[in-house]
Amino acid sequence: MIDVYVLDVPEFHPLIEASRGVAEVTIDGPQQGYWRISAPTELRFNRKAMKMKPAVWYGIFTGGLNGEIAEWGRDEVRVIGTNRPL
Amino acid sequence: MASESPGRREDASSGKSFDEVYAYDATGSLAGMTHAGADGVQLALSGVDHTARPTWKLNETVEFYRDILGLPLVHAITARGWGPPGHHDFLHFFFDAGNGATIAFFYYIGSDRPAKYEPESHHFYMATHTAWAVDTEDDLIRWKETLERRGVKVSPYTKHEIIESIYFNDPNGYPLEITRKLRDVERIDEVDARLTLDAAMQVEAECRARAEKMPDIEAVWRRKAKLVDDYRRAG
Repeated sequence: MIDVYVLDVPEFHPLIEASRGVAEVTIDGPQQGYWRISAPTELRFNRKAMKMKPAVWYGIFTGGLNGEIAEWGRDEVRVIGTNRPL
Repeated sequence: MASESPGRREDASSGKSFDEVYAYDATGSLAGMTHAGADGVQLALSGVDHTARPTWKLNETVEFYRDILGLPLVHAITARGWGPPGHHDFLHFFFDAGNGATIAFFYYIGSDRPAKYEPESHHFYMATHTAWAVDTEDDLIRWKETLERRGVKVSPYTKHEIIESIYFNDPNGYPLEITRKLRDVERIDEVDARLTLDAAMQVEAECRARAEKMPDIEAVWRRKAKLVDDYRRAG
């Protein structure tokens, strides 16, 4: 299972909006100021689709990431599950 | 009430060495220090008075800050040496940066700029910078467009999480930033900052114990996930 934690502030809201309605992706929160986006095997984010500026995009997982970054680019990020301890 | 009356405070100018005058300690050790929470004394600051850097370009520095940026030159000190031995004669001068803050320079007479003070095109060097505040988006645009009309090379706008900034350099190569707040800092920003730094400090300590460098930010993000999960559950 992959979990991405997102601080409930305007600059990171695009992560939540982009994850709504995506197959197998669940969104929980905000609880104590954090949303949690979860998926069983893979999560993808696209910068341009989220209309995110690069300076914020390069910190999109600053809320916390339980997963492993498989692809990391200027416009596309892919996260996969991992059993590594946090 | 202060425990030392002004007339009885020790005066730095009587110091006999550089280390004594500037309380310089090259070790950076925290051994023997106690935490703010332990003594019940709440200290507070009220913003920046001044920042200061050395310059070996007196004319260009005054022309840039006073005449091109238009910051008033509001104070200047001149002195023959200063306390400890080996100190150059100098000028120390201050430009008004608004809200009671100034940016200041030292010009050490008869000295050459050491190689390590040469400007570098590297993020380590750029990390030491001065960021001035403006109130509105219009103010930021006005600064960028006006400085460009005056011939200053200014970066594009960068929107960070809670500020938007422009960047440029002074004739010494010192990086300058003008920024506006995109929103106020909220309570959850403080909580998040604490959890981020807790995660990073844990990872740093564990890496040090293994005589390793921190591998990447992903290590911090992964630890942060654990701390945020704990924090959410505790709530």
